[in-house]
Amino acid sequence: MDRNSIKDTGILEQYLLGELSEDQRIDVENILKEDQELREYFYKIEDDFEKLAMENAISPPTYIKKSLLSSINEKKQITTDKNVIPINKKSQNAIYLTIAASLALLFIVSSGWLYNQWQNSQNNLQIVTEETLDLRNRIVVLEENLKETNTWYTAINNPNTIQLVLKGNQISPSSKAITYVNHKDKTVILNSKGLAKLETNKTYQMWADVDGEMIDMGVIPADKEMIAMKYIENAESINITIEPAGGNDHPTVEQLISNVLLQI
Amino acid sequence: MQDDLELIKRLQNQDSNALSAIYDRYSGALYGVILRMCKNEEWAQDLLQETFLKIWQKSNQYDSEKGKFYTWSYRIAKNLTLNALRNPSKLIQNEDLSVYSDKELDEPEQDILELNGSLKKLEPHHQRALELVYFNGLTHREAHKEMDVPLGTFKSYIKQALKKLRETYQKELFLFWIIIEKMI
Repeated sequence: MDRNSIKDTGILEQYLLGELSEDQRIDVENILKEDQELREYFYKIEDDFEKLAMENAISPPTYIKKSLLSSINEKKQITTDKNVIPINKKSQNAIYLTIAASLALLFIVSSGWLYNQWQNSQNNLQIVTEETLDLRNRIVVLEENLKETNTWYTAINNPNTIQLVLKGNQISPSSKAITYVNHKDKTVILNSKGLAKLETNKTYQMWADVDGEMIDMGVIPADKEMIAMKYIENAESINITIEPAGGNDHPTVEQLISNVLLQI
Repeated sequence: MQDDLELIKRLQNQDSNALSAIYDRYSGALYGVILRMCKNEEWAQDLLQETFLKIWQKSNQYDSEKGKFYTWSYRIAKNLTLNALRNPSKLIQNEDLSVYSDKELDEPEQDILELNGSLKKLEPHHQRALELVYFNGLTHREAHKEMDVPLGTFKSYIKQALKKLRETYQKELFLFWIIIEKMI
């Protein structure tokens, strides 16, 4: 369609009056957009119609304007109220947030309490474990003691065992030791509990007299009550001397504190 | 008549003062159209308010590139009025029907509806053609039947009528210009 035929068909007038279908309307709008001259022509038609309308204007009652403006202000108010809704939502969100925070706090507190309980249990368990270990050790010690005591008891209570008391002489008058000799089993046991305490650089040592010769039966340790000593064959007597710490090869006869004869 | 694009921009930004100014400028012209179309003052007043509400709500859809603001407003008023006339129950659904039982009550006096101005200087068939399409809301197809002339003839009536109208305006403008010149 060229410019003049558009003018002739009267389609612009129909477009202005809103009589066209959607497709026709879009076509006309596109043509007008591209054609400056046609647009000016259309503008004149618009102007004519507008003047026509202005010349035939009728004043509407004044209340319409008031009613219109109050109605749009009401709508604006509603829109403003709608704008308020997000704030309400925010406050609703704040409620949710508060609930969530409370739950989180509750969770933290209960977690803390549980952690504390768990730590206490751990400590208790450790104490119990330590005590158990301690008891077990004590049992081991007791068992050892019992075993040792039993050994000593068995040895002492043996019918073949002879009990000999070694009394201290004038060098150590308060000393008293007991020795148990079993010639059949060839054992010598000494209870050194009654011996007087010595300086740390001194020790008691036991000797057997065999045909006038003193043979070492062993150093008597200061920290033990019952000890097994060496059994010496054909010993005539048992002697205890004070010797330098660690023991001596030959007895210091001047320091003999006690002796007892063996009856074979 | 130039459109006040600044004013329209303010309207599009939902400035109620702009709506007030636009109402002052166009309400008479639009009310003239609506009242002549529905011939019932009560309805016309409702429709005028509805038209301006729509102008307010849809102002962002107005594109000055596509035409004048008044043309756009006229189409809104015309569509609302034609729809209301096709479905009149919507107009009176909230009203007391008894008011409308006597139609005389709301019918405007004929002289209000009479066309004025340059239009009256046109030949009767030109006048009638413009009146039918512009003030009665008939389409070209309906109007040419109404006037009992072929569509082509009717279209040329419209064209000639507008041309004559324009000449009258120009004459008036010329006279107005002469008067002003003399006064100065």
